[in-house]
Amino acid sequence: MTNLTMTMSPHLLALIPLAVGINLALGQIAAVTHLPLFLDTVGTVLVACLVGTWAALATGFFSQLVFTVVSGNFTWLWFLPVQLAVAAYAGLAAHVGVFRRPWLTLIAGLGLGLLAASMSWPISFFVFGGVTGGGATVFVALLRGMGLTLGWAVYLGGLVADLLDKTVTLLLVRTILVSAPARMAARFPGARRTIGEA
Amino acid sequence: MSVLLDRLTFRYSGGLEPALSDVCAEFRPREVTLVTGQLGAGCSTLLLAIAGLAPRSTGGDREGEVLTLGHDPASPVGTAALAGRIGLLFPTPWTQLSGMAFTVWDEVAFGPANLGWERGRIAQAVVQALALLDVNHLAGRDPRSLSGGELQRVMLAAVVAMEPSVCLLDEPVQELDPEGARAVYDLLPRLADQGTVILASTDIDRAITVTDRIVVMERGHLVADGAPDDVLATAHVVRSGLSTTIATLGHRAGCPGPFPLTVEAAVARYSL
Amino acid sequence: MIVEYQAGHGILHRAHPFTNLTLVGSVAVLAFVLPAPGGPLVLGAALVTLAIAAGLVRILLPAAVVVAPFWGFLLLIHGLLGGEPLRALTFGGRIGTMVLGFLMLLVTIHPARLVDALVARRVPFAFAYLLSATLQAVPRLRDRGRQILEAQRCRGLRVRGSLFRRIGAIVPLTVPLVLGALAEVDDRAMALESRGGGRAVRRTPLDPPVDTMADRSARWVMAVGTLVAVLLQVLK
Repeated sequence: MTNLTMTMSPHLLALIPLAVGINLALGQIAAVTHLPLFLDTVGTVLVACLVGTWAALATGFFSQLVFTVVSGNFTWLWFLPVQLAVAAYAGLAAHVGVFRRPWLTLIAGLGLGLLAASMSWPISFFVFGGVTGGGATVFVALLRGMGLTLGWAVYLGGLVADLLDKTVTLLLVRTILVSAPARMAARFPGARRTIGEA
Repeated sequence: MSVLLDRLTFRYSGGLEPALSDVCAEFRPREVTLVTGQLGAGCSTLLLAIAGLAPRSTGGDREGEVLTLGHDPASPVGTAALAGRIGLLFPTPWTQLSGMAFTVWDEVAFGPANLGWERGRIAQAVVQALALLDVNHLAGRDPRSLSGGELQRVMLAAVVAMEPSVCLLDEPVQELDPEGARAVYDLLPRLADQGTVILASTDIDRAITVTDRIVVMERGHLVADGAPDDVLATAHVVRSGLSTTIATLGHRAGCPGPFPLTVEAAVARYSL
Repeated sequence: MIVEYQAGHGILHRAHPFTNLTLVGSVAVLAFVLPAPGGPLVLGAALVTLAIAAGLVRILLPAAVVVAPFWGFLLLIHGLLGGEPLRALTFGGRIGTMVLGFLMLLVTIHPARLVDALVARRVPFAFAYLLSATLQAVPRLRDRGRQILEAQRCRGLRVRGSLFRRIGAIVPLTVPLVLGALAEVDDRAMALESRGGGRAVRRTPLDPPVDTMADRSARWVMAVGTLVAVLLQVLK
């Protein structure tokens, strides 16, 4: 992180706080629709597409930090590895061209959901006893009540939420890249390349 | 000579027409110059090119020569040599907030601190700048809680605190009431005592009272350059809508040119 | 924000930000290392005592608000459904301790002083900048998100109803926010650059907090104490 932040351009220093703000503001918008979505990694994935993996990692790092501070809920900080994994995966996904076709983006979204759920599970299970204090825990309690072991209940509860959330996130980022005006897209090295138009 | 532009052409990436075409101009120390034109004439881009931000930060292609205080401001060597010597005020004060300050005092100190000044020198520069812009009383406030007009004056104080040799001000009174705007204009000659002031504005009526010289831009071309009376008083410029209200009034009333630009000049000319 | 910095004169307000950070870091580690469930509970009680002594009684309620859903679910999942109330107590103690410690940090450290402390320690400008700028960007973008929501509702957008209608509402609510933010990047970058942001010269910390001998000693004691506790646990 030190090496990275020493070489950041003013352009990147301006972009990252806005991307972090997007992560947190969209979470709030998602809540309004009453859909089981977080949308709290849209900014991170977007930076991965516009600039690259390292910038996305920095966005993920500061997002989780600020999210923890704003919510006052220290338990969120433990999920930092998940944000970083999402950033790395998105950087790779943009690099190999999954944003060029909607169906590729959809498959990559399911893959990202699987990755995020598989990484959240051990943290949630071992550190917090399977409880996160959020809506997903209601689902976990339900599965547990149906007779599933706690481990499976926590994993499945997270998986369903993450598959939906990450698929919508990636498709949303693709929509944003496609609808960005030409002059704006020209300001970011990856904007057109990611969707296969350059 | 503090700024020299020689056949400067600039094109934004993705832009069809060049934002600046073949512009030649010189800007001298101790001079307040007003750069004016219709929307999209290239006034803002001209300031960005003088600061080196176009093309270094905006992207795009530049042709021709720009020398600011003897350096090419877009080159790495020029960037290093000119750091802190060019002050730039943008028309939208809220996008200029540092993001690192929780009080107005810290906001104004942001630039000097980045230049690595001693704390004593920073404090002195901040106090002077706050006093100059008459925003002392805001020093302890959170800059994010200020009104547009207050913020614009604070951001100008932040530029002044860096003690720049070239001051580039893009629509500095856009958010201000008439009284606040008057105070900012009155400040410009004092800023010019320490260097060159270039002001981009369409607020010709008020800016005219403190400017030594006017540069008129039209679709990226420099079309007129000279003393206000020479540039703005001709029927051609008045017809294009780029003169003062008083001159336009004189023209519409059928008075013969050259037209007076200010109330004082009109009174002197037409009083019986 | 559930808790923000509030000026005060208690022991934690007077301490150097790094000392408070070390305290909370140690507490977070000890909550897992000390024998459960007694260890985390004693640690939690010690923190409550410290909070009261440091004049921070006002954070106990927000801490309870954050912790309550955790405790409720722990009781449900481990206590009622799992038949392991001690497990619920262990996790509850750990979570409560971490949450309370973190809130003590938020209420006693002013972000500007933390940034100054980092700059004074030669932490790269970009790191200190991003820490502060992200914190300031969040409320601004959340406000804008709310404005966009209101504007789209005025234009007839329905955010309730069938699943498809709600999914369909996501794009008009999010794309304007994101594109609006991206449109600001250039202006902000230029403003930052013209004000010397990110230059090679070392930034002057404006009002760096004083790091006393007592601060440094306290940090050493906490760090070594935590390390010893970890080693004892590993060796056991």
